[in-house]
Amino acid sequence: MGSRASTLLREEEIEEIKKETGFSHSQITRLYSRFTSLDKGENGTLSREDFQRIPELAINPLGDRIINAFFPEGLDREDQVNFRGFMRTLAHFRPIEDNEKNKDPTASEPLNSRTNKLLFAFRLYDLDRDDKISRDELLQVLRMMVGVNISDEQLGSIADRTIQEADQNGDNSISFNEFIKVLEKVDVEQKMSIRFLH
Amino acid sequence: MGHLLFTGWNCRECQTFVEKFEGALGKGKGRKLYAYKVMMAKKMIKFNRDFENFKTACIPWERKIKEVESHFGSSVASYFLFLRWMFGLNMVLFGFMFGLVVLPEVLMGLPYGSIPRKVVPRAEQANAMDYSVLLDFGGYCQYSILFYGYYNDARTIGVFKFRLPLSYLLVGVGIFGYSLMVVIRMMARNSNEGGDGGDEGQFTFSFKMFTSWDYLIGNPETADNKFASVTTSFKESIVDEQENQKDENIHLRRFLRVLANFLILCCLGGSGFLIYYVVKQSQDNAKKDQDELTWFQKNEVDVVMSLLGLVCPPLFETIAELEEYHPRVALKWQLGRIFALFLGNLYTFLFALFDEVNEKLEEEKSIKNATMWSLKEYYANYSSYHNTTDVPPLDIAPADVVRGPCWETTVGVEFMKLTVNDIEVTYITILIGDFLRAVIVRFLNYCWCWDLEAGFPSYGEFDISGNVLGLIFNQGMIWMGAFFSPGLVGLNILRLISSMYFQCWAVMATNVPHERVFKASKSNNFYMGLLLLVLFLSLLPVIYIIMTMPPSFDCGPFSGREKMYDVILETLEELPTFIGNIVGYATNPGLILSAVLLMVLAIYYLNVTSKNYENANLELRKKMQMARDEEKNRRNNKETTNQAMQYLEDLLPNRSLIPPPVITEESALSKSSKVAKHPGAAANGKGVNLQKDVSLASPNPRAAVTRPPGPRGPPGHARGPPPGPGRGRGRGAPPPRR
Repeated sequence: MGSRASTLLREEEIEEIKKETGFSHSQITRLYSRFTSLDKGENGTLSREDFQRIPELAINPLGDRIINAFFPEGLDREDQVNFRGFMRTLAHFRPIEDNEKNKDPTASEPLNSRTNKLLFAFRLYDLDRDDKISRDELLQVLRMMVGVNISDEQLGSIADRTIQEADQNGDNSISFNEFIKVLEKVDVEQKMSIRFLH
Repeated sequence: MGHLLFTGWNCRECQTFVEKFEGALGKGKGRKLYAYKVMMAKKMIKFNRDFENFKTACIPWERKIKEVESHFGSSVASYFLFLRWMFGLNMVLFGFMFGLVVLPEVLMGLPYGSIPRKVVPRAEQANAMDYSVLLDFGGYCQYSILFYGYYNDARTIGVFKFRLPLSYLLVGVGIFGYSLMVVIRMMARNSNEGGDGGDEGQFTFSFKMFTSWDYLIGNPETADNKFASVTTSFKESIVDEQENQKDENIHLRRFLRVLANFLILCCLGGSGFLIYYVVKQSQDNAKKDQDELTWFQKNEVDVVMSLLGLVCPPLFETIAELEEYHPRVALKWQLGRIFALFLGNLYTFLFALFDEVNEKLEEEKSIKNATMWSLKEYYANYSSYHNTTDVPPLDIAPADVVRGPCWETTVGVEFMKLTVNDIEVTYITILIGDFLRAVIVRFLNYCWCWDLEAGFPSYGEFDISGNVLGLIFNQGMIWMGAFFSPGLVGLNILRLISSMYFQCWAVMATNVPHERVFKASKSNNFYMGLLLLVLFLSLLPVIYIIMTMPPSFDCGPFSGREKMYDVILETLEELPTFIGNIVGYATNPGLILSAVLLMVLAIYYLNVTSKNYENANLELRKKMQMARDEEKNRRNNKETTNQAMQYLEDLLPNRSLIPPPVITEESALSKSSKVAKHPGAAANGKGVNLQKDVSLASPNPRAAVTRPPGPRGPPGHARGPPPGPGRGRGRGAPPPRR
């Protein structure tokens, strides 16, 4: 498996991924071997079923949302994600290092910046990708999180209250900027970071 | 590199720069050393991380408590956290007692049977091994290291010249000192954290919605727990919200509260009088002939105390419903009242104990006189018979020597018996009151007329106040008794460990969560305050005894001395004289008085400064809140003004055309009036409907919250519930789908 993995991943590809996501060489190689071990169909891409086979995701009530985040928008349910897409999503969780702040200011924001992390989280809730979290989307999330242990009326009230707290321009939904405002006191850089071992 | 390019160094500087950082570049002279340093740094980081993980894994019972917390809420879990903290405290006390008192006596002191105080007297030896006698802590138990009387009073023992009596006294006092320090430090730490609450009132529900799930969970059990805890946390917030929105009819409520307090004071007064009366009666009965009394008359005090303990707390709770406090506040009141009730309990116990001690002291005087008299007789006879003055010591077997009644051991035995009694009562109450009840409700439900689970007995709720007070009073007993019975602390450790396992099991298996789950107060200071009070109450009798009562003449480490603290004076005499002088000066009343005065002034000053800081804090917070509200209003209002108004506003710098800042709720109300139109619901001021009577959707509101998330379909299942017309769309027109 080891030799096969390295022959399928060319140096130029590794360089491109490195530039785009900021991962180091060894991290990319290690993640590639994880990618191939998940890819049961051995066709170089992952489908949703491959993800659902991961036991930790299967027991997570919000697991489907996470799987969703790997698949780019606009495609239907039969889509696949290749290694580039896989790395692009995982790059959101790279810890922010201090020396990155001194890099070229004209380049676009790295994938693991605070705003991009929050955007990732935002997209978990905004299912229809209209850049707003509506009351119904909140209700869906709530129902997933607490099931039938709280009555629907109370769930509705909680959703209303959440919108009331966060909404500032009065459109009864939470836009991305309002979402950022809500979480401005949360240490997103630290909470949404995973230590990928180098 | 960029830096180098832009600063235009000359060749020489470049060279020095490269040489300096050669190692880092992987070439040249410093390579090996630098690589070694980097490797050590990495190893150190890894080691630190592993050590932190190890330390966290060592915290005992963490998973158990988290499980309880996720199912029953933070208030029930706070009892278990308190229990665990007590366990830690008792371990340290046990370490002191065992290491500095028990171990030296066992290793270096005289063995059993060598001197009178270490032997069971001849008269009792026949049944010293009987089970019933041992259970009563008599026989071999009484003459063992468990109790005060076993310890010898030799000034130094063993090869290391360990001063046992001094150590005993210092450990006895040191236990109080350490406990005091720890409790006050905990209180100080708690009050720090309590102040950081800050603006979390701003986005409570949003936070819960967006940040409560932990995506790193991979274990099914943990996922279930997290699921339950998210539910509980929402319920807690709902309760808090309800409390904030209640209608205030101040006068009626005040009257009801005064009435409730008056009733409860009457109850407490009545029970106090009843206790006093019963104790007086039992004292009179003790003087009569024991065979004439009935069983009831012999055990009057115990019966009355148990009855009061069973009847009064539920009575207080019923009366407290008049007051309509927030559940957290109501819990505090309940704790305070039961505390007052238990103080009566304590008073009778101490009263009885002191009576017994005085009796023993009288007995001891007579025995002491008798012993001295017989010794004198022996000497006189011997010298007159053999015509010498060199009299060999009396040669009697240790078991036959006439012994005094050793009141300290009696006191120790009383405390031991009390603790054992307490343990038995607690466990039996849990077994019968919770376990048996749950079994009956569960299995008898199949053949009973009404629904036992929803109706009358149903499952029990965990009684936080009773358990916390039990724990606190138990600790008070331990503090009082540790001086007279070194084995008591060990017994307490066993009790705490078994209690933790037993109660965790009982809570998960037989209790249901409270109907109104409420969040525990952030600081545990209320429990700590009660504990501190009990610590002081238990310190007083022990200090009094050490200072004033004479120790027994023939048992214990202080035997033969006038007062127990004479040990310290003796030790001081052995030290060099200048230390004695220093101590003499330090105990000068003038010096002590001025020190006390200085401390009082310091306390006053610190109190005033801390109040000032609190006020400043509050002001700042208010200012921040006002600034935030203004910004929100400004943003809301900007949309409704037209171009002309905007132009005018920009012209006038003092912005006098903007309406005065309205309270946030009202402006939000106008925006959210569309939102609150649930059919048939009462829309109150804040536009969110939280009726008090709306309970869980499930038909049985008292079912335990253990329903795990519904089964997810096989792989390939559609993602989540389809976004069709859900029940949330109770409004007029569904929002437009884009």
